[in-house]
Amino acid sequence: MRMRSLAPVLALAAALAPRAASAADVKVDIPFTKTQLPNGLTVILHEDHTLPLVAVNTMVRVGSRFEEPGRTGFAHLFEHLMFMGTARAPTKMFDAWMESAGGSNNAWTSEDRTDYFDVGPANTLPLLLWLEADRFSSIGREMTQQKLDAQRDVVRNERRQTTENRPYGKAEIHLPELAYPAGHPYHHPVIGSHEDLQAATVDDVKTFFARWYVPKNSSLVVAGDFDPARARAEIERLFGWIPSPEVTQVPAPPAPRLTGVVRETMADDVKLPKIIMAWHSPARFAPGDAELDLAGSILQEGKASRLYKALVYDNPLAQDVRAEQRSQDLSSLFVIEVVAQPGVPLDKLEAAIDAEVAKLAASPPSGEELRRAQNQFETGFVSRLQSVNERASLLNIYQMAVGDPGYADKDLARYRAATAAQVQATVKATLDPNARVIIRVVPKEAPAAAPAQPGGGK
Amino acid sequence: MRAPITMLAAGAALAAAALAGCEENLPPPVVPAPPPPSAEAAADPIPSAKPDLGAPRAFEPAAPAVYKAPNGLTVWLLERHALPMVSVTLALPYGSASDPEGKAGLASITANMLDEGAGGRDAVALSSAINDLGASLTTGAGVDGSTVSLVVLKKNFKPAFEIFSDVVARPRFDDKEWKRVSSLWRNDLAKRAQDPVAVSRVVISAALYGRGSPYGHPSSGLVSTAAKIDLAAVKGFYAGHYRPDQATLVVAGDVTRAELDAVLAASLEGWKAPAKAAPAPPAGKPLASPPGLVLVDRPDAPQSVLAFVREGVAASDPKAPPLDLVNTALGGSFTSRLNQDLREEHGWSYGAGSRFAETRGTGAFIAQASVVTEATGQALTAMLADLDKMAKGGLTADEFGKVRAQDRADLVQAYETVGSTSQRLGTLAVLGLGPTFDAGASRARQQASKAELDTLAAAVAPRGTIVVVGPAAAVLPQLEAAKLGKPELFDAEGNPMKAGGARPAAKKKAPAKKK
Repeated sequence: MRMRSLAPVLALAAALAPRAASAADVKVDIPFTKTQLPNGLTVILHEDHTLPLVAVNTMVRVGSRFEEPGRTGFAHLFEHLMFMGTARAPTKMFDAWMESAGGSNNAWTSEDRTDYFDVGPANTLPLLLWLEADRFSSIGREMTQQKLDAQRDVVRNERRQTTENRPYGKAEIHLPELAYPAGHPYHHPVIGSHEDLQAATVDDVKTFFARWYVPKNSSLVVAGDFDPARARAEIERLFGWIPSPEVTQVPAPPAPRLTGVVRETMADDVKLPKIIMAWHSPARFAPGDAELDLAGSILQEGKASRLYKALVYDNPLAQDVRAEQRSQDLSSLFVIEVVAQPGVPLDKLEAAIDAEVAKLAASPPSGEELRRAQNQFETGFVSRLQSVNERASLLNIYQMAVGDPGYADKDLARYRAATAAQVQATVKATLDPNARVIIRVVPKEAPAAAPAQPGGGK
Repeated sequence: MRAPITMLAAGAALAAAALAGCEENLPPPVVPAPPPPSAEAAADPIPSAKPDLGAPRAFEPAAPAVYKAPNGLTVWLLERHALPMVSVTLALPYGSASDPEGKAGLASITANMLDEGAGGRDAVALSSAINDLGASLTTGAGVDGSTVSLVVLKKNFKPAFEIFSDVVARPRFDDKEWKRVSSLWRNDLAKRAQDPVAVSRVVISAALYGRGSPYGHPSSGLVSTAAKIDLAAVKGFYAGHYRPDQATLVVAGDVTRAELDAVLAASLEGWKAPAKAAPAPPAGKPLASPPGLVLVDRPDAPQSVLAFVREGVAASDPKAPPLDLVNTALGGSFTSRLNQDLREEHGWSYGAGSRFAETRGTGAFIAQASVVTEATGQALTAMLADLDKMAKGGLTADEFGKVRAQDRADLVQAYETVGSTSQRLGTLAVLGLGPTFDAGASRARQQASKAELDTLAAAVAPRGTIVVVGPAAAVLPQLEAAKLGKPELFDAEGNPMKAGGARPAAKKKAPAKKK
């Protein structure tokens, strides 16, 4: 996921892969009304007068997987361009007017979605809606070379700052290239390559806007302290006229499959080596998705978790362990990342990771382990209801994913319903030792150890 | 709280005077002639002028109830019953500024050891017990204070608070856990040298305050002294500094006073202050003459992490709240001058920002940006020019209106979640500022005149220390061309490198990469 700017408010990262819990009586409920304008725009309203705040969230069903060949990074670059001004709100005025009224904004792009959000004092709602309607109806036709060039440089610096100049960052953006075959929509990272960013043209912007940024492909949420009747009328007036061509459906690619172990060793400016393993896994909300979220928690959360206990607590092998299901629309990746302690042979570390994964594939987690994971997800779900901005985002995430903005409680129910046997079966079916990507990141200066044999590793 | 942009990277403009010139009258940047209205545009019902807005509703954050528990512990309770959640922060005014000489990181590693076994549980059992309740418990130390925090659903508040109390009052400090924790800690410190943003932070404090002063080392510690810290030192720090008479317990969320007092009596009443007088928390003070230009070599890096740092103010200084408004205009939000200049105008950076650090002693003013390596010199020049212009000319009328609107909005959002509320109140407790400080500070900001802010703006004048973490071979010629002087070379731990050490030879030209 790529953000427009590094703002603090954005603990949003987790939002795409909903985290929930299990057990007990807590209900995760966000009251809302949903309508569809005649042009196809989905409109979701959530009223809450606790604080004099309002949030506007606009989500578009487009992301890096919809990009044309040779244009990697374009969906995210486009997200930046949405702030570059129109005839009515000239360059810089989108932000200037919003901030002058006390509002703030940001946006993110993932493989599957692009999301724009504004938060401001309750009195700013007319301005927020006006600014959004303006850019969502006219940014394509207003695009210029100058605007494109400006954000292209910003985005290339985003790439440098968030990956190239960060320890282990280069491996992170290389992972999808190893996991998915060339031509697969998930083959490239959201941020894209410098070459492709450089190649983008004003015509590309206009075409992309006309194709994807249309009411039928978008959903608008207004949340917080406002009058729903007045907001609805205003939305109908400002957005209802926007023409909506049919959205061409993109054919789904064949499910990605690995038939062996794809290995790569990368040198980076790091002190401690790192092992990254990735497996293809079920799509977001597909059977197995919640089970793998739970498996991730069982493997990495807390000192009693399988990987921490075995690799850090009982044996000084790893400095840091992570295991998580990274959910996506078409299919997902389950990723384990482990940083080695100094001097630990990577073959030994890899074998230790494999042993823990194999145990979870061979027998179900204990009831205690499962409940522990479920309870943590439950708290996570409730936590996300705290801010009006996050509730706005959740309503849109669920609308886009399952067509039901109020899906949060059903989402949580997936975690509550998962059984230990299901977790084991999913781990067994998914985390196949003979079908995965294994990246080793090693210190630049150190001579790389003898290249591991493809398919081997034990 | 008042830093809407978390330390963005900053870059700076080249043609400083000219650029800053058009920035002064902030609004309409050079906009290309509007395209002829298309049929579509003519047809659309969106008004061509932005709507006029009504006045914002006045807002005052709720004040917590303040009282003392029988053991001398100060309690701040803010009831919030909208969601079944409770967030708790125990705040102590002793952080890394209280690290003894030669033991950098002791406060931090002491905090880390608190949840490695406490009460009847060892480290694994404690971690499991917290996770079983779906709770999260974190411990840590900053410059001025140490905190222990708990977030939990209401239904599990009581058992989770019992564990929280064990961690605060009955840590075990077992030798077995210490071996692992201290070794992981030393590895993490060694790893820090590869993270340019972390290195920049370490060097900033070393350069501004000097080693050996309370704020001169990173809270997390230093590679050179970590090995000298043993478990006895940790136990000693705990015994001397974790005392209820100096602590504040902040509780926000779905809990009543009666419910809280019951768990306090059950779990935390046995926590007593030692007879010995409490140590005074030290406060840092910047060096009289810090270095002017510091470079940390990071060979082949695609970006330079730039920072300008100078003496700021103490958080309790009456100038601190209005200075926040000056900073908002300069580097505290997306439309701030630094971000507009280095990011939007020049594309040198993903983001630039600035802030006044909130500290008990004299804080730092810091402007920062990560910029593409070949723009290092230009970006620094522009950053300094932006600071200079603000220092000399103050805010524009538009900025004056904007930053006050942002201040009012921030006050509403800062206390929106129970987590952010208990965290913020914990910071206020650590700094000794009192539970209603933010509302008062906001009032002071709203009352400040533009003339007053313009005078205060002198506090950001670019007289201080520049810190660059980037590839020396490419950066040195740029610093020279920008007439920024000869840098002192520091290592990643913030130590000046000895003359004759690994001084990279200046090359004639930065690798000119077309961007």
